[in-house]
Amino acid sequence: MAAAALVLLVASPLAAREPGQASQWLERLGPALNMTSYRGVFVYARGDRVHSMRIAHRFVDGMVHERLVLQDGGDGEIVRKGMNVVCVLPQQGEVRLDQVIPSGPFAEAYANELVPVSRWYKAELVGEDRVAGYDSVIIALTAKDPHRYNHRLWLEKTSGLLVKSHVGEPGGKVLENFQFTSLEITDDLAESEFEIQTKGREVTHNLDDVPAPQPVQSSVMNGWDLGWRPPGFVPAAAPRSGPGRAVAFSDGVAAFSVFVELEGAVRMPVGASRIGATTVYMRELDAGNARFLVTVVGEVPPTTARKVAESVRVDDALALHSDDS
Amino acid sequence: MDDRLRETLSAMMDDEADELSVRRLLSHSRQDEVCDQWQRWQQVRGLMHKNHSLAEGVDVSGAVREVLDGRPRRISESDPAEPRSAARWQWPAVAMVTMALLVGFGAGAGWESADTKADTTVASAEPNNSAAEQPVDEVALQGLDQEQWEHMSRYLLEHAQHNSVGAGRGSVGYARLVSATGSGY
Repeated sequence: MAAAALVLLVASPLAAREPGQASQWLERLGPALNMTSYRGVFVYARGDRVHSMRIAHRFVDGMVHERLVLQDGGDGEIVRKGMNVVCVLPQQGEVRLDQVIPSGPFAEAYANELVPVSRWYKAELVGEDRVAGYDSVIIALTAKDPHRYNHRLWLEKTSGLLVKSHVGEPGGKVLENFQFTSLEITDDLAESEFEIQTKGREVTHNLDDVPAPQPVQSSVMNGWDLGWRPPGFVPAAAPRSGPGRAVAFSDGVAAFSVFVELEGAVRMPVGASRIGATTVYMRELDAGNARFLVTVVGEVPPTTARKVAESVRVDDALALHSDDS
Repeated sequence: MDDRLRETLSAMMDDEADELSVRRLLSHSRQDEVCDQWQRWQQVRGLMHKNHSLAEGVDVSGAVREVLDGRPRRISESDPAEPRSAARWQWPAVAMVTMALLVGFGAGAGWESADTKADTTVASAEPNNSAAEQPVDEVALQGLDQEQWEHMSRYLLEHAQHNSVGAGRGSVGYARLVSATGSGY
């Protein structure tokens, strides 16, 4: 049904379906996400879940200041100043954000890699729309192979800020929906808008200072390797996040993470699961004397996730083993 | 179904929809879509509250429309939530209960395990698609126990984190993170 709405939205194509124009917009996307100052409320829906969050965002002295406040469910907010992240967490929910927030260091933005996007997606300027009161252009990214989803991005015309996005299947079904419902692009943001206001347990983390994303090579996959990955997906983050041996891969638009861990006490079912555009694929892998759990999580089709998971080879089971024990 | 109708549905879930919006929803030309969306959300809610499955797939729009029009409903004795007084009737509380009971709290989950066939569709739409020769088996996640769910959630969250900071997707990534945490699992 959302697909129908989508079709309606873009039913008035511009005369200019220029790929060149589309890529110019895409080049603005990365910087705009960080360097635009704005406040607003956005809604995020995937699968059956809808969440809204209030956000204030500005760029001061080369640092991102950002405050997000949950608008439904429990109280909670996330304040980020550069690499310093403070979370006040909702009491409910079985998984605490603090288990995962300190996962730095990460590449600040591989949004830069949006440049070669046209190799894997057909980028088109397909129309104009109005989102949260702002005129925006609609960029359609159509996957050139079946390994990734289609994306549709609404970029505000003057700033290039992403104000709405869809992730969908080739058939047109929208799996994930992000949209500002109210937005004010302004430099007039008070200091107080970036201060924690919710009372509760505060968790502070410093994402380690890593000045620039280093080109990550296969060496980051300590003890294991991928026999196959969809073309265009490159390692994007160092695997220092928590206890998992996660490596993230991105093609500049979509990303998936691969986890290879010794199978612990908890036995997990194998197979694929989906929520919105996110697929989780798990499988067991015997190597040496140990059994590993391989998990692929990402905004990729289940078939891609499976193929990636099935291609994982544990090169040095012992190394992995001794590190964990 | 447009965003406004979706909002109305969402508001109904929260007992906050006003009558005008509900009427607009009911007059929507694609009632099947409306019902479908409603049911999916109810299923999530049902799961969150660990409710058991009642009747599924019942179209209650007719009944609700009658309630809105203040007409007495031709209903069976077994409907516990029939509004007696249409005059002082408030949309949310009463009709919500009616609707919830009739639609039933399904045993489904936010996870689209029911969508298995969609994968095949995606695959067949693409020629020369060696990656997708066979449909992918899907795991019914509602069957996970607490420990398994926590384990799975950690992966989801870490990935969301990669997206928000690593991918420079900013708020989208954060939203994925919150969405993954949910508020009731």
